[in-house]
Amino acid sequence: MRTLLRSLAAGVALLTCVAGASAMSSGKPEYGPRDETERGLWQQMDEYERELKNSEFLMNDPALNSYVKGVLCKAVGAERCGATRIYIVRTPYYNAMMAPNGMMIVWSGLLLRTRNEAELATVLGHEFAHFEKRHSIQMYNNVKSKTDAMTWLSVLPGGFLAQMSLMGSVMSFNRDMERQADLVALDDLARNGYDPIAASEIWEQLRAEMDSTSEGRRMRKAMDNAGDFFSSHPNSKERMEYLRAAAIGKRSSGQTMGTESYRRAMAPWWPQLINDQIKLNQFGATEFLLASMARGAWTADLLYARGELYRARGKEGDFASAIGFYKQAIAQDALLAESYRGLGVSLIRSGSKDEGKKALKQYLEKRPDADDHGIVSMMATTS
Amino acid sequence: MAIAATAALLLTPAASFAESRQSLTKEAFAFPAQGQVRVVLFRPDVSVGEQSTGGLDQPNAGWTEQAREQLTAALGKAQAERNIELKLMPELTGDDAKLMSDYRKLFKTVADSVIKHRLFLLDPLPTKQEKFDWTLGEGASRLGALGGGEYGLFFYTMDSYESGSRKLARLLASTISEEQPSEVNMGYAGLVDLKTGDLVWINVDVKMAGDVRTTEGASLRIGELLDGFPVRAGIKATKVKK
Repeated sequence: MRTLLRSLAAGVALLTCVAGASAMSSGKPEYGPRDETERGLWQQMDEYERELKNSEFLMNDPALNSYVKGVLCKAVGAERCGATRIYIVRTPYYNAMMAPNGMMIVWSGLLLRTRNEAELATVLGHEFAHFEKRHSIQMYNNVKSKTDAMTWLSVLPGGFLAQMSLMGSVMSFNRDMERQADLVALDDLARNGYDPIAASEIWEQLRAEMDSTSEGRRMRKAMDNAGDFFSSHPNSKERMEYLRAAAIGKRSSGQTMGTESYRRAMAPWWPQLINDQIKLNQFGATEFLLASMARGAWTADLLYARGELYRARGKEGDFASAIGFYKQAIAQDALLAESYRGLGVSLIRSGSKDEGKKALKQYLEKRPDADDHGIVSMMATTS
Repeated sequence: MAIAATAALLLTPAASFAESRQSLTKEAFAFPAQGQVRVVLFRPDVSVGEQSTGGLDQPNAGWTEQAREQLTAALGKAQAERNIELKLMPELTGDDAKLMSDYRKLFKTVADSVIKHRLFLLDPLPTKQEKFDWTLGEGASRLGALGGGEYGLFFYTMDSYESGSRKLARLLASTISEEQPSEVNMGYAGLVDLKTGDLVWINVDVKMAGDVRTTEGASLRIGELLDGFPVRAGIKATKVKK
């Protein structure tokens, strides 16, 4: 128990994050450290940020970074977003984290999962609310006061039950913060022109994926069960309900989802995002993820992704399935050149060499400056 | 953050070690007897904080800054006494900063491995017990060019002092149970030959003396941190008494 608590204290103290955390409120934004404790935490995070800036895993592309920052700035307003620095880290899992010094970390797996600007804004705005409301510092202070109390209680005979209830309340503080961040973000989104219904949609999708992952892995499932009492996530159903209820009152005609602009901004990165996900080698989980992202409507980018998934597995019948997905993708969006590449390779692998080479040549015509131009043109010309 | 992992690695079994300090020098290594010896100091990783009653470390920005300055000054003085010039690695930008960052991580990984497999023998590697042959590779020479020195020195310290209420709680608890973690005062230092990239000396101590918040303490700490530090050829190395 002491070990659990210590790792909890260490992990929770400095970063609040989507996958495991949460929020409070007050007047005008003011972001600097306020006391000795905050200065200490800021300094530690500044040290971490020094190293992060040099990480090989950062996606440094200026266009991508300014786009993501732009979405946050639109959601919370230019005067508030200026206090943050966003780092996009290439890793195929979903998370976004916010440190008390204004460092925001966005994992590329999140960019894969959000389907439009409003959804991305939901997650970024949620993290921003943690920052603005100083949640990580409150968590730290809360954990500190609770661990202090626990130390005193452990000195007293019979203090064990009291310790247990204190641990529960450490986590419920967290749930309150999560809820507050949700609602603050939703308010910001709606006020600044994004459709607030996006909030319940993206959280629902992420929650569904999390449930399916823990069902898929017994260990995770067991941990989730053991963690019920400590669960830091607001109840899924309850969360969707309050998000949806709050959104309905705040919808208006000028708001957008930003689906098309999001798709355009992600287009250059899409093949890489998909490739990173597929390399996790979790066929079932990826299939579930794509289906939950589709929400019943398979768009070209998702069809392409599904084609890649089947082609990568390459079991009996997979190439035929992949060919079908690529063809549907091309029918919907002939500009997604990578679909031709996948189609060409799948056709060749399943024996239709000439047709396959033709598709590869189409890929090369559409992407004359592709990184893999050399190898693809070799495949397209040799027999 | 990485130092916390090292701390966890070391702290658990620390009680069972006869010696809290372990150092090793590459066989027959000594600085040249004559001429200039320049050691580039890479930005020290220093963390100083205070433990709450519950044992949670609360980092203290003021103490940390102060400790970094005082440790660096004490280190410069100690090296000057050995006729070694200490040079501070300048603040780097762009690709140079990336390179430095990569080598810092590589050093930590190598040092962790030496600490675990060789110094404290938590998990001894059969092929690494005889020779002391750990290296960062020849590419490390680029750091020598950037810093203007023949050797590179990394050091890390982590201190978490007990607050008054923490001390009292531990005192009370000791009457009914024994295991109560207390102060953390640990550090390690490693010297790299920047021509070859070889690690030539390493020293680790999980129970260090010297309150790094004071000038005298920082100087005492540096004395311990440099325990067994190589000397110029022909001079007998001294061991600091525990």
